[in-house]
Amino acid sequence: MTVIIVIDALNRSEYPRIMADMHRLRARVFEGRLGWDVRVVNGEERDRFDQLDPAHVVSINEHGEVVGCMRLLQTTGPHMLVDVFASLLDGEPPLRSAQLWEATRFCVDTERLSHGRGPNSVSSVTSEVMIGAFEYAMEAGVTDAVAVIDPIMNRVLKRSGNAPYDYLGSAKQMGKVVAMAALMDCSEERVQRIRDYAGIHHDVFLPDEAALEFESELAA
Amino acid sequence: MDLIDLSAHSPDDATRGMFLDQLCQKLELDYASYAAISPVTGTVQGYANYPDDWKRFYTKSKFHLIDPTLALSARSIAPVDWKRFSSHEGFDKVFGPARDFGLFSQGLTVPVRGPFGDCGLLSVTRECVEGDWAKLKRKIVGDLQTAAVHFHDAVMQDDSVARVMRLPRVSMREKEILQWVAAGKSQQDIGDILGISHRTVEVHLRSVREKLGALTTPQAVGRAIRLGYIQPE
Repeated sequence: MTVIIVIDALNRSEYPRIMADMHRLRARVFEGRLGWDVRVVNGEERDRFDQLDPAHVVSINEHGEVVGCMRLLQTTGPHMLVDVFASLLDGEPPLRSAQLWEATRFCVDTERLSHGRGPNSVSSVTSEVMIGAFEYAMEAGVTDAVAVIDPIMNRVLKRSGNAPYDYLGSAKQMGKVVAMAALMDCSEERVQRIRDYAGIHHDVFLPDEAALEFESELAA
Repeated sequence: MDLIDLSAHSPDDATRGMFLDQLCQKLELDYASYAAISPVTGTVQGYANYPDDWKRFYTKSKFHLIDPTLALSARSIAPVDWKRFSSHEGFDKVFGPARDFGLFSQGLTVPVRGPFGDCGLLSVTRECVEGDWAKLKRKIVGDLQTAAVHFHDAVMQDDSVARVMRLPRVSMREKEILQWVAAGKSQQDIGDILGISHRTVEVHLRSVREKLGALTTPQAVGRAIRLGYIQPE
């Protein structure tokens, strides 16, 4: 079983170990597996957008280990499509809307998770992170998300009832792989399609008290 | 939602106060307030339709320095329900006295981040039972997001340097879509013409309205024509 915790600047100080584990997962995926040009210090990947108080949608397994994550920022303020990923937009200025969020650093742990379709699989955690992110966005009155993803993730999304409805600009080579900016609606319909495909019908969010227990377990 | 178009008015306090009154009326709220935190000086600039005696007391007590609905909400990307501050020391200090002024501490703060590290906070309150509050929030949170960014952008345009720095950066696609709107095409038609989904048309319209400081698509078309982005039909 895996569960979702949303960690932002307001509760971040309560989850130092989960946050560190998330940054380690990002290092393994983006530097290791995907070969992106990212900065890794002490095995943890961080960039300046982590300083801007983003929200992280984090999936943890029964041992309290981070097995999936996604980072969310508002598009009204500084975000990655403005400069770092500007090339994806072919020189065009990015979209700006209070009801559009940007999703970056979306990844799942292909080492700790099984393949196939069970509860602890890459496929299931991918769906779970997306359900968590979309439900969190909908509660915030956000209607759409632009996500920077690679073609493999794109195929996974298409297969799992979660196909982007469009793409912005054009796909570009970044390190070993290609990156693209995909548009997805944050809607009940999409969440239902993902839930039906993944067979996830429970509330994916872990209540705060239980999340804090996980944090202390990980510390032990 | 029909609200006063702040970017079409000179920046006076009365218009901004009226905007907050209208917002409360349309969205079934008791009170609304807006605060901008300057990234350079850290000063807070605010507008509110709270009772005057509470505003005076709040200012005199320098509550803006300890009010968690300001400092903490500014660090969230999502609207923050004040329930999240219930165990926060500053919350009691501010909202304890607020009750003496007949104010209810059930509220929501919508944070807006601007491109230059600026941050605006639109806060609203409503006295009602918790279940109704949850329902009301779901219904109005999208409109609150739109209102918050509109208010923030209007306030940030107050000085002329900011106006130049914040000139809208409108993309080719946004111009193209507005041009077809000006030609009277529906979103569905425009999607068909450009070979994109109607949702892509919608998300671009939402974006270009905000970039042009417009609340409605016709306002955005008018402004785009004046700025020379599109041709009048």
